[in-house]
Amino acid sequence: MILAALIMNTQGKPRITKFYDHVSVERQQEILRVVYSVLSSRSGNLCSFVEADDIFGPDTKLVYKHFATLYFVFVIDSAESELGILDLIQVFVETLDRCFKNVCELDIVYNFGKVHTILDEIVMGGQVVETSSAEVMKAVQDIWKLERVGELNPANIRGIGHYKNSRS
Amino acid sequence: MALSGMRGLSVFISDVRNCQNKEQERVRVDKELANIRTRFKNERGLSVYEKKKYVWKILYIYMLGYDVDFGHMETMALISAPKYAEKQVGYIVTSCLLNENHNFLQLVINTVRNDIVGRNETFRCLALTMVGNIGGREFSESLAPDVQKLLMSSSCRPIVRKKAALCMLRLYRKNPDVVNTDGWPECMAHLLNERDLGVLIAVMSLLVALVANTPEAYWNCVPKCVQILERLTRGQDVPQDYTYYGIPSPWLQVKTMRVLQYFPSIEDPSIRKSLLNVLQTILLRTDVVKNINKNNASHAVLFEALSLVMHLDAEKDLMSQCIVLLGKFVCVREPNIRYLGLENMTRMLLVADVVDTIRKYQAQIIASLKDPDNSIRRRSLDLLYAMCDVSNAKNIVEELLQYLTTADFGIREELALKAAILSEKFAPDLSWYVDAVLRLIDKAGDFVSDDIWYRVVQVVTNNDDLQAYAAEKARNYLDKPAVHETMVKVSGYLLGEYSHLLARRPGCSSKEIFHIIKEKISAVTTVTKAILLSACVKVLMHCQPPNQELFEQATATFRRYENSVDAEVQQRAVEFLALSRNGLAMVDIMAEMPKFPERQSALLKKAVDTDGDAPEVSATKLRLQQQNSMALVVADRRPPNGDLHLLSVTEAGASNQYPKHAAVAESQASEVPHSSQSQVHSNGATQQHASGTPHGDLLGDLIGTLAIDAPPAEPTTGPSDSQALEAPPKSPAISAASADSLALVVLDAAPTQVQPLKSVSEWFRELSVKDSGVLYEDPYVQIGLKAEWRNAQGRMVLFFGNKFTAPLRNVRGSVLSPPHIRTRSAVVPETIPPRAQVQVPVDVACIGASRETAVLDFSYNVEYTPVKVQLKLPTLLNKFLQIAPVSANEFVAWWRALGGPPSKIQEVVRGVRPMPLTDMADLFIRLHVGVLPGLDPNVNNIVAATTFYSGTAATLCLVRVETDPLDRTQMRLTVASEVPNTTYELKELMKEQLVDIPSLAQPSRTSASSLAAMGLTAPAAALAGLI
Repeated sequence: MILAALIMNTQGKPRITKFYDHVSVERQQEILRVVYSVLSSRSGNLCSFVEADDIFGPDTKLVYKHFATLYFVFVIDSAESELGILDLIQVFVETLDRCFKNVCELDIVYNFGKVHTILDEIVMGGQVVETSSAEVMKAVQDIWKLERVGELNPANIRGIGHYKNSRS
Repeated sequence: MALSGMRGLSVFISDVRNCQNKEQERVRVDKELANIRTRFKNERGLSVYEKKKYVWKILYIYMLGYDVDFGHMETMALISAPKYAEKQVGYIVTSCLLNENHNFLQLVINTVRNDIVGRNETFRCLALTMVGNIGGREFSESLAPDVQKLLMSSSCRPIVRKKAALCMLRLYRKNPDVVNTDGWPECMAHLLNERDLGVLIAVMSLLVALVANTPEAYWNCVPKCVQILERLTRGQDVPQDYTYYGIPSPWLQVKTMRVLQYFPSIEDPSIRKSLLNVLQTILLRTDVVKNINKNNASHAVLFEALSLVMHLDAEKDLMSQCIVLLGKFVCVREPNIRYLGLENMTRMLLVADVVDTIRKYQAQIIASLKDPDNSIRRRSLDLLYAMCDVSNAKNIVEELLQYLTTADFGIREELALKAAILSEKFAPDLSWYVDAVLRLIDKAGDFVSDDIWYRVVQVVTNNDDLQAYAAEKARNYLDKPAVHETMVKVSGYLLGEYSHLLARRPGCSSKEIFHIIKEKISAVTTVTKAILLSACVKVLMHCQPPNQELFEQATATFRRYENSVDAEVQQRAVEFLALSRNGLAMVDIMAEMPKFPERQSALLKKAVDTDGDAPEVSATKLRLQQQNSMALVVADRRPPNGDLHLLSVTEAGASNQYPKHAAVAESQASEVPHSSQSQVHSNGATQQHASGTPHGDLLGDLIGTLAIDAPPAEPTTGPSDSQALEAPPKSPAISAASADSLALVVLDAAPTQVQPLKSVSEWFRELSVKDSGVLYEDPYVQIGLKAEWRNAQGRMVLFFGNKFTAPLRNVRGSVLSPPHIRTRSAVVPETIPPRAQVQVPVDVACIGASRETAVLDFSYNVEYTPVKVQLKLPTLLNKFLQIAPVSANEFVAWWRALGGPPSKIQEVVRGVRPMPLTDMADLFIRLHVGVLPGLDPNVNNIVAATTFYSGTAATLCLVRVETDPLDRTQMRLTVASEVPNTTYELKELMKEQLVDIPSLAQPSRTSASSLAAMGLTAPAAALAGLI
C-alpha cells in the first residue's frame, strides 16, 4: 500500500501532502522534516529507495525522484513494488507536465487543488487507480470542464504567468 | 480554471511565500484563519465562490502544518451542494482534512450514498474516491452493497468501476464481513475476465487484500491470473494507453504476480506449467536498455517474476537462472537495480540453498558495503550477514569491523551486534573468535551490549586452552592508555582469572599485571571498579611466591575503597582486605571460577527466533536451522559437520521385532515424568545451597557473586563451595553435561532423568489428524514429523533436532512396523552435531487395515545417561484414506448393497465429546473421510464416504453418523465397506477420534485405549447387541 504521497521542494517546503492512513498534523510535520533531512543528505546518483522504518514503522520505504527543485516521494510498505512506484511517480510527473506544459514548482504551488485532483485520479486509498497518463488526463479534463460551467465570470479567470516571475 | 482563477487564494499563497521566516508566516496564517473564521460565522453573506476559496485556503494552511480546528462543517456542506465545482472541492478537501474518526463524517453518509447510487457518473467518482480514502466502518456498513453493485455493473464506465473496486477494498479493510457473503470468490473470478486494463489493476489490488486473508477461498482466481499474465507477456490486446515505454502495463503484471505469491503454493500441474512458462519468458527477455524509465519498468516486472519463482520454489534450472540474474544485478552500476539485486539475493538465501553460488559474488557484495549510498550499504550488510558461514566468516567479519569505523551512527549498534553474532556462530577457531570480539569492543565499545562480552568470558572460561591466549590479549588491550570501559571490564575479568597463566612471559608478572589493573581503577564506574577489585585480589592470590610489596600495594588499594559510597565496592574492598590477611586460606576461596553450564548464547537467542516447530518448516526456518548447526560449540570443539545427510537406506520392517501393542511405547513414555521427582535430589545439597542465589542471565550471576556470599569465617568453605557460587543451571541434567565436578552426583542419579516437555500421547493425537508437527521433545532433542500420503503409500520425514550445544551421541532410531504396514527408513546418524537437525525419511506402505501403528524406537545418550523412548508413529488407517466423491444415488445404492454385518457394522457410541455438527464434519475431513452434505434428510445426521487404499486395492467405505440433538454425548455410528476387517477398523478409528477429549488427553486416552482393548477382545460380542 502507498502510505503517503508527498511533494516537497529542495528546501523542505511541502507542496503537496497526502496521507492515506490517518496521521495527525504534528506527526505529518515531523514526518516531512525527517523525510527532508534524509533526502537532502543524499546526493544525485544514489538509488531511489530509502528504508523508512524509523519514520513509518517496519518494512516501509521511501521511493523518491528528484526533479529540478522538487522531490516527489511515495512512502510504501512491502506490498508494493519499488520500481513500480518509481514508474508511477514518472506517470504522475508526466501527467503534470502535460497539464501545465513544462511543469515547474510554481505551477504546483498555485494550483495545488488541481494537483490534488490529478493525484486522486492516480492513487486512491493507497492503491493505484490509473497508470495511463492519457486516461488520467481525460478524467481530469472532464472534471475541469464541469468545474468551469457557471464560472465564466472573466474577472475570476487569470493566468498564473503573472506569478511565475515572482519570488521563488 | 478553478484555482488559478481564485485571486484571493493566489494572493494568500504569494503572501505566505514572501514571508521571510516561520514567525512571519505564522502571523500571516493566523490573520487569514481569523478572517476565515469571521466570514464563516456570518455564513449568510457568503457566496459559493467565497466558500470554495476559503476551503481551499484551509487546505493550504493545513498542508503548511497548522492544525485547523474549524471549517470542517463548511467543507462538508460543499459536498451536498448541487453544482459539480462545489461538490468536487468539498470531496477533495474533506478527504484531506478529515479522517474516519471524525464523528460528523457520518452526517454526510446519506449525501455520499445518494451520489453513489445517483445517475451522475462524475458525482459517483467523487463519492467513491472520498470513501475509498477515508471511509470508516459506518460507511462500510451502509454503502458496501451499492459499491459492489457498481463494481459488478456492466453498464458503468471503467473509471467508475475501478474506483468502486478500490472503494470496496477500503470498505473490506474496515469491515471484513462485507465480503463474507456467498459468491464473492465467483464475483472476483468473474471480474478477472475484464478486458479493460485500468479496471483490472484496481480489481487486482482488491484481490491481493482478499487473498492475503483467505487464500483458500480464492483458488478459482489462480487460473485467471495466469491467463492475464499470459495475455500481458504476449502483448495481446493491450491498448497503447496501457503500454508504458513499450511494456504492456508493468503495474498489472507486477500486481498479478504479487497476488499469486499470496497463495501458499500452486499445485495444479497444468496451471503451474503455464505460469512457469510465462516466468521463464520474462526472465529471458528482459535486457538492460538505455532509457531509464523503460529499464525501471521492465525490471519491476523482472524482480516480481524473481520473487514469484522463489515463492513457487520452482524447478532447479529456473532457480539457477534467477541466481545468475541476481548475480548480474549485484554487480551493475545502476544503483536501483543493484539495491534490489542485493535485497532479493538476501531473500533468495532464505528460500533456497544457494550459499555456494552466491559466494562467487562476495567480492562485489563487500564492495557494495563501501558504496557511498547508505541504502545500498544496508542491503549489502544484510546480505553479508545472511550468507556468512564458517568458510567466509573471517573475511566477512573483518570487513564488518573495518566498516564499523566509518559507518553512520544509526547503523553501528546493529553492525556491532551482527559482527558479534557472526563471529560466535561461525568462528573457525576460538582464538579467532576472542580476537574478533575484543577488536569489536575496542572499535565500537559504545555499541557493544553486555551480552557480547559476557559471552566472551563464558567461552574463555569453558575452554582451558584458550585462557592464556585470552589473558595475553586482555593484558595488551588494558595496557593501552585510552580504553573503552567495556574493554576494561572484560580485560580486567580475564586478567583476574587467568593472568597467572602468563606469569613467565615478559611484562606479565603478577606485579606488572596488578599495575595495569590498578591504573584503570580510579577512572571507571563503580560496576567496573568492583570487577577490577576482584581481579586485584585474584592476582594477589596467584602471586607465587607471595610478594610483600605486591601485598602492600594491594591492601592499600583495598583500603582506598573501604569507605566507598558504593556498597558493592565497599563490601568487596572490606572482604578482600580481611581475606588477604588470611594468606593461604584465600587460595581456596579465590580459586578459578568453574566452568559455566552450557547455555544457549543470549546473542544467538537474539539472532534466531527459535520456536520449536520443526516440521512446519518454512524454507526460511530450515535455512536458519542449517545456519545454527554451524554454530560455535563451546563445550566441545568439534569442527562443524557439513555432511549431516549421509543416509543409507535399509530395510527396517523385516528385521525388527515389533512390540505387540503400541500402547507399550506410550506407557513407557508416560512413565518418564514420574522420575522427575528424583532428579530434584540428584544434585544434592550443593544445589539447594546454590539455589539461594538468584541468577540472571549469563554473567549477571557471576558478577554478583564474585564477592563471596558466605562470610569468610565460615569453616566449610572448600573447593565444592565454589560450585555453590555458581548459579544453578535451569535444567539439572544440563549441569551434568558440563560441570565436571558434579559428575559424581550424576552417576548416582537414576538413568532416566530426561522427560518430554509435553505428553507424548498428546503429540501423537495431534499428528493423527495432521500431517506435520512435533512427535517428541525433551530438553535435548526434538523430533518433528512431516508426512505426505498418497493412496496406500506414504513418506514421513523425521526431523531429529539437537537443541543442545554439545553433540548428541549414541543416537539410535529404528522404525518397527506391525504386520500390516511396511516401512523402509534411512539410518539415523549416530551423532547429531550441536544445534543441528537431521532428516530421516521413512517410506510407508499399507497392506491392510489395522489400528496398530509403526513405532519409532529412539535412544540417545546425554553424557553417560541413556535416554530411551518408544514413540508411536502416526501411520494410522486414516492416512491411507482418500475422500471419495460419491453422488447421492451411488451412495444409496452402495449402502443398500452392503446389507449387514460384517460388511456393515453399527454401534452406539457413548461418551462422545460434545461438539457441533460442523466441527464433527471438520474432524471427518481431517481424517480424510469426505462428508456428503445434504444427502441425509435429517440435519442431525452426517453421511460420508472415503476410499481406503492398501496394497493395490481400494475399498470404498461409507459412514453414517446419527446424532441426538438432545444428548450430544452419544451417537449411532454405522460404517460399511466390502471388506469386513476394514469396516471394523474404520469404525474403531472413528470411535476413538470421537470419544477422545483433547484437554484431558491423559485420562481419556486410557479410556479410549481400554475401549479399544475391549473391542479387540470381543469384537463380535460388542457388535452383537447393536445391530
